[in-house]
Amino acid sequence: MSINTAIADRARANEALTAAELDELATADILSLGMLADEVRRARVGDVVTFVRVGASGAGAGEAGEVRMTSLPETLAATVAAVAQAKAATGGSALSGFSLADIIDRGWGDLAGVLKQLKQAGLGAIVEAPLDRLSNPEAALQACQDAGITVQSLSLQKPNAEGRTPMLMQARALAARFPWLTTIAPLPREQSIAVPTTGYDDVRAVALARLALPGVPNVQVDWTQYGPKLAQVALTFGANDLDRVSVTDDETLGRRRTSLEDVTRNIVAAGFQPRERSARA
Amino acid sequence: MDLKAFEQRIESGSRLNVDEALQLYRHAPTYWLGRMADGVRRRKHPAGVVTYIIDRNVNYTNVCVARCNFCAFYREVGHSEGYVLGFDEIYQKIEETKALGGGQLLLQGGHNPDLPLAWYEDLFRGVKARFPDFKLHALSPPEVLHISRMSKLPVPEVIQRLIASGLDSVPGGGAEILVDRVRKLLNCYAKASADEWLGVMRDAHQAGLRTTATMMYGTVETDEERLEHMLRLRDLQDHTGGFTAFITWSYQPEHTERGGREATGIEYLRTLAIARLVLDNFDNLQASWVTQGGKVGQLSLAFGANDMGSVMIEENVVRAAGAVYCMDEVEIVRNAEDAGFAAKRRNMHYEILGDPFFRAHHVPRTLELSTAREAGDTSEPVELVNYPARSAAGKRQRSQPPASPVA
Repeated sequence: MSINTAIADRARANEALTAAELDELATADILSLGMLADEVRRARVGDVVTFVRVGASGAGAGEAGEVRMTSLPETLAATVAAVAQAKAATGGSALSGFSLADIIDRGWGDLAGVLKQLKQAGLGAIVEAPLDRLSNPEAALQACQDAGITVQSLSLQKPNAEGRTPMLMQARALAARFPWLTTIAPLPREQSIAVPTTGYDDVRAVALARLALPGVPNVQVDWTQYGPKLAQVALTFGANDLDRVSVTDDETLGRRRTSLEDVTRNIVAAGFQPRERSARA
Repeated sequence: MDLKAFEQRIESGSRLNVDEALQLYRHAPTYWLGRMADGVRRRKHPAGVVTYIIDRNVNYTNVCVARCNFCAFYREVGHSEGYVLGFDEIYQKIEETKALGGGQLLLQGGHNPDLPLAWYEDLFRGVKARFPDFKLHALSPPEVLHISRMSKLPVPEVIQRLIASGLDSVPGGGAEILVDRVRKLLNCYAKASADEWLGVMRDAHQAGLRTTATMMYGTVETDEERLEHMLRLRDLQDHTGGFTAFITWSYQPEHTERGGREATGIEYLRTLAIARLVLDNFDNLQASWVTQGGKVGQLSLAFGANDMGSVMIEENVVRAAGAVYCMDEVEIVRNAEDAGFAAKRRNMHYEILGDPFFRAHHVPRTLELSTAREAGDTSEPVELVNYPARSAAGKRQRSQPPASPVA
């Protein structure tokens, strides 16, 4: 099914598409949808693709634009201590960490107060707010704002093609409410080994995120999780940012190796200009 | 570049020449190439069907004297990791394949100097005696040439003898890039020059066999040489009509002597799309999910592919070079249907065999492809003593009783 030209024109004009319009776009043929998303992306953010090299805490920052903590300790005190220790070891690189949903699930009390403590210990940003895991995303993001700490991306924990449009509408409302939300990562963090999302699923999700969120400049794909091939193709469907490029050039990672040469080569081969960035905080 | 004019020419069925194809390959927007290729695919396959085959990719030996520098699979004669599968092992693999709904082996291997023509003939006859309806899609052109050289028989005679033993069709492996400059740099000119590869295919077609054609890109070749490869295939297809399908994939560099980097996913989709436009006399283009992964494999269906290839069951060659993807029948069908197609089983001739096998039979899911043998199993099949070895290592081995017989 070809693209409805009236909807396409509204997307080009950066207008807020309705849920029905997004649902209709989701049924368009994949190449037409990709072409529209690519056109809109180039008009909004040009032909630059940004990427960030991320180091693991404890491994030394090296050339990382960001050091990221992934494992959340059991207690707040242990987390504050771990953040302080990691910050001391970053050598000046920005320190990010954790899923906002994981912090809330710990039940450590007043969220804004918890986040303030983490910020004071040296945490520069929360890595992500997975919308499908937050029972009250607005309150959670308000707590971040009150604590003076940003969330690097709105994300999705599990695949849910049926719930995509409501999620995008929710993301748009949140981005309007919290203008510091500048990035969406529309591909799910979890993948089933037996039934993974398909290539069509993934690039459709990327394209719809680009078209649904005129106020969110960055559509992000996780380079390590999705691999060079899908991540590169996603760039032509509206994505403009690659997250979690490894700071190490580890040949034992095989085809998923994420050297600077590989990521820049893939970006250029897709017709874009690579630009390494630092952490978003 | 006047894309509108190209669009009209392609839609009217006009044939692209090499200069036009090169211009498009280098400069046309990726989406434009995809749309054009998708349009040609729709005209050739208007029913909205994506096909696939249930067969098993068996490598009967990894011992090879060719020494192609892009290959991570081969082992030299006498190497401790060298193996030859026994007839009973191959029969067992056929039993397993049949249980999954398969009806064919894709049987290829190294250029092993210690396997004479009689070994292939006996194997094929043995397969047909036990599994009369089971198909043997076997021995790529360089293997046929190798057998021809070893047996000192002309290629047409070798093909006739293999057909008489049970050969059903010939896979298009070993083509790499059909330009001798490239083949010399890849150290595969000696195994088969471009003319020799095409000559074997011509002989096979004239003997009544259908074959496939392949292209491995991303090593040392230029864009012009990729297109020269396609045009040489197109020319032969004009004369014989014997190719059923074209399959292209990117060079897999890991653990190879040549090393280097793999071509990107976008390059794959562009190469596939230009192949659909250039190879106007090929009905079928396969998606190479085994090198590109399931996701880009599925996206191939929007860039000119109409076939998801094989469920493979087993794979050894690209795995050795770092590609470890797996798609069982459930996944292939799910991906084809998710892309908006009806998924149908086929045979090597692209005749539709029916709906997905797993929908009518209990088939366990496969999340990892099998290998030729368990790691470290280098046992020597007992029947090998019946065949004269040519290499010194082979002669030594066959003069001793087998250490751990298979059958």
